[in-house]
Amino acid sequence: MSVSVVAKASHSCKKCVLDSATPGIFINEDTGLCQFCEHFAPLSSEKKEEYHARMDSLLKFPHKTGMYDVIFALSGGVDSSYALYRLKMEYPNLTILAVQFDNGFITETALENAQKFCALTKSTYIRLSLDQNALEETFTKAAHSIDAYPGAAKYRASDICNTCISIIKQKIIEIAIITKAPFIVFAFSPGQADVPFVKLTKSILVWMRKLFDQSLKTIGVTDREQYLVDVHLIQPGSPEPEVMIIHPFLVWDYDKIKFKKECIQLGWIDPLLKDHNSSNCLLNAFAIKKHFDKYHIHPYAYDLAALVRQGNMKREDALKKLIVDVSDASIEEIKLKLKL
Amino acid sequence: MNEIREDILDFLKRHGFLDKRITLQENDSLSETGLIDSITLLELIDFLERKYSIQIPVEMITPENFDTLAGISKSVMKLKNG
Repeated sequence: MSVSVVAKASHSCKKCVLDSATPGIFINEDTGLCQFCEHFAPLSSEKKEEYHARMDSLLKFPHKTGMYDVIFALSGGVDSSYALYRLKMEYPNLTILAVQFDNGFITETALENAQKFCALTKSTYIRLSLDQNALEETFTKAAHSIDAYPGAAKYRASDICNTCISIIKQKIIEIAIITKAPFIVFAFSPGQADVPFVKLTKSILVWMRKLFDQSLKTIGVTDREQYLVDVHLIQPGSPEPEVMIIHPFLVWDYDKIKFKKECIQLGWIDPLLKDHNSSNCLLNAFAIKKHFDKYHIHPYAYDLAALVRQGNMKREDALKKLIVDVSDASIEEIKLKLKL
Repeated sequence: MNEIREDILDFLKRHGFLDKRITLQENDSLSETGLIDSITLLELIDFLERKYSIQIPVEMITPENFDTLAGISKSVMKLKNG
């Protein structure tokens, strides 16, 4: 038996996959479009070229400031594996440190895939582990929490995923500052991020840290320092960090089917998870179901809708991804692990 | 100032999922009221840069300048007027 989760059909946007059954989504009865499709302006080819030129100027001949040019967030899933490979192909001069965060629910296949792609791209690999018991307790609390993250964040990811991604961001920023790496690369899809280049300043980092600390506090996490950027690195008097985040999928064309084919040719192995939205994490499907139960929001709908709107994914493919097939056995396994 | 304020509110209704029934005061903290997180903040900056053809210096992005309607409107006005 399986549990299927999909937004109840009422009024669907005729262009993307958003639906008025989701709180906060409105469909204009005259146009048949959601509020996002109504205001959508595609990225011009000039702007795309400008982004490409900027990425070339930053990454072709990087100015050496430390041991690594790039700290790369590698999950071992399709997107990040492909992005790592393409980054190295396009910019062979880059010295890359790939960081795979072990949240305790990463598949063995994802761990193998990550190491395989690091070997392929001659990147240094590290598996970042934190106290697994504390992490499980944090995810359990995130699963139970209500409104710990801002309204918009609830549409981008589940509370569990927002917690996990925020920890990864904080720790990767910390590694970049310590190793004096000028760039951080995240393989977010063009539906998950809007801005391709983000220069980080101390005041932005302090602000980001404070916001995440507040969310962790609302979740009920007491030992929060382990998940946050080391405060000494961004306190008054410390050197101004010289770090920029790059989202290459906002510069390159995004075609997940093509990426997967190419990755498989390069030796990437599909973990064959039942979850259509993750190719690396066992917790994801459970997190989606829990999020939907709490807020009636499918945490991938907003991302998939953006991909459809931008022309990066077919509407029918996106709709398929909104059906979460979670077997009772896998739910029970996760519940047991999270002591739910 | 009013035009900028309305544009920010429009943006927050769409991207911050601001409930139409909520009245936001000039000095309410957008982050503390759960309207923006770091990603929405960057989207807002990108939106303002495009809308007003301005370049917001990264040093200017502080809670004092970008966490309230009043602060953002004032910062955009300053940049618009050179």
